[in-house]
Amino acid sequence: MWIVLLVVHGLLAFLLLGAITHQTLSVWAPPRSKPGSFFARARAVPATSYVNAIIVLFIITAILGGLIYTNYRITARFTLEQGRFFKTFGAFELKEHFIALGLGLLPAYWWYWKSALAEEHPLTRKMLTTVLAFVVWWGFLVGHLANNVRGLGT
Amino acid sequence: MNLPRSFPVFAITFAVTYAIIYVLAVEYNWALFTYAPTTGKFGPLRTPATAGPTMYWYGWISTAAIGAAAVAALVTLVPEGVAKRIWPGLSWAVPLCVIVVFGYLLKGYFLR
Repeated sequence: MWIVLLVVHGLLAFLLLGAITHQTLSVWAPPRSKPGSFFARARAVPATSYVNAIIVLFIITAILGGLIYTNYRITARFTLEQGRFFKTFGAFELKEHFIALGLGLLPAYWWYWKSALAEEHPLTRKMLTTVLAFVVWWGFLVGHLANNVRGLGT
Repeated sequence: MNLPRSFPVFAITFAVTYAIIYVLAVEYNWALFTYAPTTGKFGPLRTPATAGPTMYWYGWISTAAIGAAAVAALVTLVPEGVAKRIWPGLSWAVPLCVIVVFGYLLKGYFLR
């Protein structure tokens, strides 16, 4: 069951990573003309339409990660400690805190994307999106790294 | 969707206080409850596990969420004129600072 949860968690994280990356590119480097290149098309997405999906994916991925974390705590974590993988261990500790902080950003993130009144604050929208993107990228990369050191079920 | 006019004040205050309460909860272990993954049992506040490790993370998140929601709800009661002076940038600046604080607190893992 843990393997299934881990795979679903990874797939949802991958979807979230794609959505937040498109959105971050679109707020920092919006296309000025008809997109031609791959990079231009990647940032030419209707970013507002990603907001609800990003919030739902973030919450579901965090809940699944929270469930898997119970297994990590009694299996993989000991391997990281005993194997002296201190950097991976520390990066994973940071991941748990960053994800928790990301949850607290979601109401403001939602407001500064969805409200017409919030368009007066483009920097706030950009930075909330960027901080959330950082959290998601950190979580994805570190989760992958920790799983490679000592994956569930190995 | 019709939201109360005070929602942005709530959202900004929640983001700020959640981040601050969370880092304090981690540092001083203000866990609302604990979980023992070996036995599958929950305990109130800082109840240690009878076997295996004790998990505080869910308890820290709950402490931060409830505390921040209470503070944010109170701040929505301030007059609109005062509320408009709250800088929206606090909603990302404070959590970003807390991210840096966690990097500092856990730097020992990366300097070994």
